[in-house]
Order: sequence, then structure tokens, then C-alpha cells
Amino acid sequence: MMLTVFIDFNSPASYLAIQPTVQLVQRIGVRVKWKPYRTELQKVPEKLDIETQGQSHRRVRAIARQRIHQHYATLQGIELNFRSSQGKTDIALGIFSQWKSDPQPFIREAFKAYWQDHADLNDKDTVEKIISRCGNVNGIDVSEALSSLEAAQTEAEQVGVIDAPAYWLQDQLFIGREHLPWINEIVKGTQV
Amino acid sequence: MDVLKSDFPLIVYIDVKSPYAFVSIKPTLALEKELGMQFDWRPLTLDIPAYLGSAEKRRGKVIKSEGRSRKAWNTIKYSYKDARRYAERQGYILKGTEKIWDSSIASIAIIWVCQTAREKLPLFFEAVYPPFWRRELDIEDISVIEACLESVGVKSNGFRDFEADSGRALHDDLQKQFHAHGIYGVPTYVYEEQVFFGREHIPYLRWELKGRTDPTPDIAYEIE
Repeated sequence: MMLTVFIDFNSPASYLAIQPTVQLVQRIGVRVKWKPYRTELQKVPEKLDIETQGQSHRRVRAIARQRIHQHYATLQGIELNFRSSQGKTDIALGIFSQWKSDPQPFIREAFKAYWQDHADLNDKDTVEKIISRCGNVNGIDVSEALSSLEAAQTEAEQVGVIDAPAYWLQDQLFIGREHLPWINEIVKGTQV
Repeated sequence: MDVLKSDFPLIVYIDVKSPYAFVSIKPTLALEKELGMQFDWRPLTLDIPAYLGSAEKRRGKVIKSEGRSRKAWNTIKYSYKDARRYAERQGYILKGTEKIWDSSIASIAIIWVCQTAREKLPLFFEAVYPPFWRRELDIEDISVIEACLESVGVKSNGFRDFEADSGRALHDDLQKQFHAHGIYGVPTYVYEEQVFFGREHIPYLRWELKGRTDPTPDIAYEIE
């Protein structure tokens, strides 16, 4: 059985999912494949003097989501420094899709670079520096990063991914780490 | 009524027409029972067209759609599919609604039950939510809601006036305050004036309500 996990480095929900997902995978012994999914760039809308209900809803929701991510980040001991608007991560995601060996060091470094250092993960040189911190890496072609990402994105969309983190297991899609209890149950059920 | 303040340990905002509120009822009632507490259940009547566009379906087919992008549709489809699988685990049927309902009468009925027969609230939820999600209940018809009240032993005498006057005023007053206090959807839980949207926060809320004795939990949709 294979659990596929889709993440984006600029997604705070993805960052907060790494630790609990890795813990679950280690505990239940399921094989895991990490894949990129480019999420939609988000920004907290500015408060307007006159707002429609919809504008007000989107602004309040965006602020509330940031606050909740921050809340659970604190509980997990993770530093989340939000930017005024999300940065693109295409190059890093493209490289990630090419990764052959254990991707955990790259995942860790990329999230840290984005959220703690505000690094530009859509910049080739920046991403190459991150790769260099991940030990011996083979089979990476930075010039092919964007086309690799497009292929990975198409693959993710074909199974219905609309946000990250997303989990694909036995033809079921789960969006968000709140589903880990169900994922745990599926895996344990097949191990009986 | 202050949207963030209550004499109860936890405020719970719900709306009958939200599938996510539907699947939050059972676990939230279970939490009340587990902790031997009573929560302050209140209505939040969603204005769905304002942020998700509107649509009308007939026999499962979309016959009218306004202001919905492909992404909005995909999100809605996933949300229903997701809520449905959890509803089925709880023994319920969840069919997608065929129009966007005005759930304000049912919302005001929640206030009515809390004021007149609080102990009947779980029964009232059971009388309204499951049939509504089986597409068997017209929640815009006040006589239907009155029948639901009576069916669980809550007197409906006076509800019609309450719905038109003081109950409606209380409901509308709450609606006006939500965005200014960071509340935008259901289910929303308010613990010590902190707002938590979604039942995934139940483990954390339990941890707080029990006095922070165990290790801090992460978000999770708890399953039985």
C-alpha cells in the first residue's frame, strides 16, 4: 500500500502536516510517496471602507486561517513568518518532483527557507543552495524544473487534488491533516 | 448578545444547511456528554451566495449557476464528498442540496429550544438535521419546523411570534456581529473568546476544557 502526500512549500497547512504525517508513517509502517502540488497563491485582502458580504467573508476567513495556523505552529514548535502575499515556489516544487532519494532533507530545508528566511523558492540559485544542503543528490535537472512541475500538477489534478496537504490512499482523497485518523484506520485495516 | 461571550464554557455556532455543521453535531454532543458540561449552542445563518456564488440543481443536475468558478465548484464537490463519507460513518445519509436554503427559521428555532427546553436540543437536532440532509424537510416552512419542535416534546405555541419578533431580532443581531469578531462559517467554536472554525478542533477544545492535563493534541477529525 502506498500513501501519496501532496504538499506545497508556501502552504502553512502543508508545513504543519509534515511532522504528524511523518510520525504516522513511521508508526504504521506504510510506504509514502511525497509529491508537489502548486496551491493557489493567497493573500489577506485589505479591509475596504465599503465591503460586500463576500469581500468581508474572504478577508475575515483569510485572517482567521492565518491565526489558526499560527496557533498550531506554536504548539508544534514551528516558526511561521507570514508574508504580505505568498511567494511562488515553482522551481522548488519542480525539483521536488524529480527527487529520487529520501526527500525529507529537502522538504525540511525548503519549508524552513520559505517560512523562516523568506527565501524565494522560485529562484534557481536559491533552490540550488537548498539542494546543496541536502547531501549527495543525483538526477536533478534545474532547467527541467518547470516542466517537471507541470507534469506533476496534471497528475495531482487528475486525482482531484484542489489544495495541500492532500493524501491519496486506496483511491480516496483526503485534504488536510485532520484526516490522519481515517488514513491510520485504512492502513491498519489492511494490516489485520 | 455578545458573539464571543457566554456563561457556558464553550459556544458552538451551527447552521442546518451546512454539511460540515451536520457532521459536527454528533461529536460535539458527545464532547458535552463526555465532559459533563453544557455548551452554548447558537445559530449562524450562512449567506452562501455572498462568498461561493449560487446554484440550483434539479434531479442532481445544475440548472442555474451564478458567480461560481471551476475552482469553487471543485471545492464544493470535494466538501460534499468529504462530509458525506463522515456522515455515513455516523449512520446518516447526506444528499447534496438542490438549492441554497434560507435556514433562518430553523436557526431561530435553535434559540427557541435553548430558551424553552434546553434538554431537548439534541433531540431537536436529530429531528431536523438528518431529514433535511435526506431532502425530506422543507426548512423554509415554519409549520414544518413547528412540527419538528412538537415531535421532540418542545412546545411550539408562541414560536411563530418569536420567529417574527424577538427571536428574529436576536438572530439578526448575531448575524451582524460575526465578521467583526472573526467568525465566518460553521461549525465555529468559541472558547474564552478564541474562535475555532471546524470540528477538527474538538481534540484541542477537549484538552482546554479538561484543564490541559494531557499532551497538546493536533487537529483531527476523530473517528469512533
